[in-house]
Amino acid sequence: MTGPLSGVRILDLTHVWAGPLAVRFLSDLGAEVVRVEAPFSRGPREVSGMALGGWIGGEPAEEPWNRNAIFVKLMRNRKSLCIDLKHTEGRSTFLELVGKADVVMENFSARTMPALGLDWETLKACNPNLVYLTMPGFGHDGPLKHRVAFGPSVEAMSGLTEIMGYGPDEPRNTAMALMDPITALNAVAAVTTALERRSRQGGALRVEMSLYEGGVSYSGPWLIDRQLNHTPRSMGNRHPEMVPHGVYRCLGEDQWIAIAIQNEAQWVAFARLLGLDAAWDFDTRRAYEQQIDEAIEAWTVHQDKLTAAESLQASGIPAGPVNTVPDMVADPQVQARGFFVPFERFDTPMPGTPIKMDGVDPDSWTPCPSLGADNERVLKEWLDYSDDAIALLKQAAVLADRPPS
Amino acid sequence: MRVLEVGGYAAGYAGRLFVRAGFEVVRIEAEAPPAWASAEAMNSFLHAGKERIPQPDSLSELASTADVVICEGARAQELLGLGFDQWRTKIKIAITPFGRTGPKADWEATPSILYAMGGYTNLMGDAGRAPLTLPGHYLEFQTGAVAFSTAMAARLSQGEANADIGMLETLMSLSQFTTVMWHCAGEIRSRHGSDFWSVAPSDLYRCKDGWVYCNVVPTFWDPFIALMGLPELIVDPRFETGDSRKVHRQALKEIIAAAMAELTRTELDERAETFRVPMGVVRTLDQVLVEAHLEARDFWEPVITENGQPVRSPAVPFKIDGHRLNGLRVAELSS
Repeated sequence: MTGPLSGVRILDLTHVWAGPLAVRFLSDLGAEVVRVEAPFSRGPREVSGMALGGWIGGEPAEEPWNRNAIFVKLMRNRKSLCIDLKHTEGRSTFLELVGKADVVMENFSARTMPALGLDWETLKACNPNLVYLTMPGFGHDGPLKHRVAFGPSVEAMSGLTEIMGYGPDEPRNTAMALMDPITALNAVAAVTTALERRSRQGGALRVEMSLYEGGVSYSGPWLIDRQLNHTPRSMGNRHPEMVPHGVYRCLGEDQWIAIAIQNEAQWVAFARLLGLDAAWDFDTRRAYEQQIDEAIEAWTVHQDKLTAAESLQASGIPAGPVNTVPDMVADPQVQARGFFVPFERFDTPMPGTPIKMDGVDPDSWTPCPSLGADNERVLKEWLDYSDDAIALLKQAAVLADRPPS
Repeated sequence: MRVLEVGGYAAGYAGRLFVRAGFEVVRIEAEAPPAWASAEAMNSFLHAGKERIPQPDSLSELASTADVVICEGARAQELLGLGFDQWRTKIKIAITPFGRTGPKADWEATPSILYAMGGYTNLMGDAGRAPLTLPGHYLEFQTGAVAFSTAMAARLSQGEANADIGMLETLMSLSQFTTVMWHCAGEIRSRHGSDFWSVAPSDLYRCKDGWVYCNVVPTFWDPFIALMGLPELIVDPRFETGDSRKVHRQALKEIIAAAMAELTRTELDERAETFRVPMGVVRTLDQVLVEAHLEARDFWEPVITENGQPVRSPAVPFKIDGHRLNGLRVAELSS
């Protein structure tokens, strides 16, 4: 891999979404990643029914565990080592790998790593320069440390739900597990911070974070406002400092456009377009917000969402179509920037990286490896294991390349 | 290391992380974009610990004294106007709504426009009603975190960097499963209120004195039934499997809603702990501020606002060797 993190070796024990997404960002920046996977971690050998995000290539085929599209999307640029950490030999092999790694990342519950005999003191003893990132849902201490955390339930606890929705009596959850990608980016920031610190002072560093705190931290401005006796409130699609600001119905079934007026110049241009009073200042617009919204929708409801957005943008007015995924993928801006990259099997387009810079090269990305595809390669390259030693591990079922039957 | 910060809330968030990591941050003051909180709150959250100065005659000269520049423009053109490409800083990170190239590089944007175009708005809110945008500054802070990490990675490599980070692309890179669902299954994900839809039950329910979110993936079905005191659900064939619960989600929703209405927030919080079920009782902002868990984990840092009022601000959400990043010292907070 190329990129600024080229030469950084990561052992990836993460699962679900936040952890694997964090590792994907680090791999895009050039880190060498070995994914340490249990034989059952990708699901069973045989499946019934459809995978939520579909299958790479459209079918589960003979190896469904290697084709779940949601999993595959997060797993580029990895090598796969499928090893049983509950086996004595598996655990000792893993600890040897720790000795050669720069970073170990996991997002198990607070109990898991100690239960595997892989607590921080053990890891550190294997590598006095290790960066270890652990991110259980609520952290390793505090009264909620054993609470089970998923993105949507943590979102409810973060403060966002008081503000999100159609109004104070109609709160809504984003239903998108918003806390997970926040935590992923916090993890990337945490790992790069720790690596930078290690480069200056050396030594092992344990980084600890949680899904919950990541979510609460992004509520920071509201939390400060409450202490200043302001009351942030749920406003639907309206905005405390922009009028108008909303999502308006367009021509066609469930077609919408977002429009936001940030300043007086934009209002003047917009008001002229709609035949409204260009002289209205912010307070007047707030007073007549309902009427303004109705006037806007009376116009947008006859407009194609994309044509309307382009027309408004031509007048310097912030507007954008509410895109479905196919709309988004077909957007000329997205196409021109080559955001979706078809490096995966069957030329499946995958979301790219928001970081465009020399060395971060989607052309060098590798698809999600099959389970255990790199067992031999990793053990030889990292630990100099012989063919015989590897054969013994296979014989003892410490290594695998498919789920248990 | 000296960091120069130019621009809005994404650059501000990146600078916030640099301050906590112990670096000197100089922020060029400019007119702030519309915000979801007061200017005093935004400044206290984002800019404590920074040296804040008016735009100098020669930004280029100042940039040449920095190790890192984080520069956010409202449009690609704005960066050209600032002379960004001529700055001789070793690590330069540009943030714009749509990236620096492409036919929409100079489109006007707010977060609500980007959520709409990035496929998020279409998924939020109720079926049959207007979709919802996301309040707050999530996208700006996420983009700031990407900018910070990119700069830190570049510093590690000892090399030069000139990065172009687009907010729309940040959003799209964080999409959950909507894009592969389209590309691999040919399905377009739609919105269903607070219901996560791929799991049943997963929704926001009204309880006796507030709201609670349940997200009961199959592993947690049995403990959830015990938590709710609804043993009859175990033998109800409609709810036997995760898939059948999805088929009968409306009936299930009604049963849970009726039971939930009899329970208080405190009871639900205690039961979530006891039964180890992924359930989140909705906290108001006031309740978050006094959450014992955050207190116990040293989550808050003291800040004095520009009007001299002491407040608590969330610390950086990670600890290194048991400590929050301590680059921010109380004496610096009111700058």
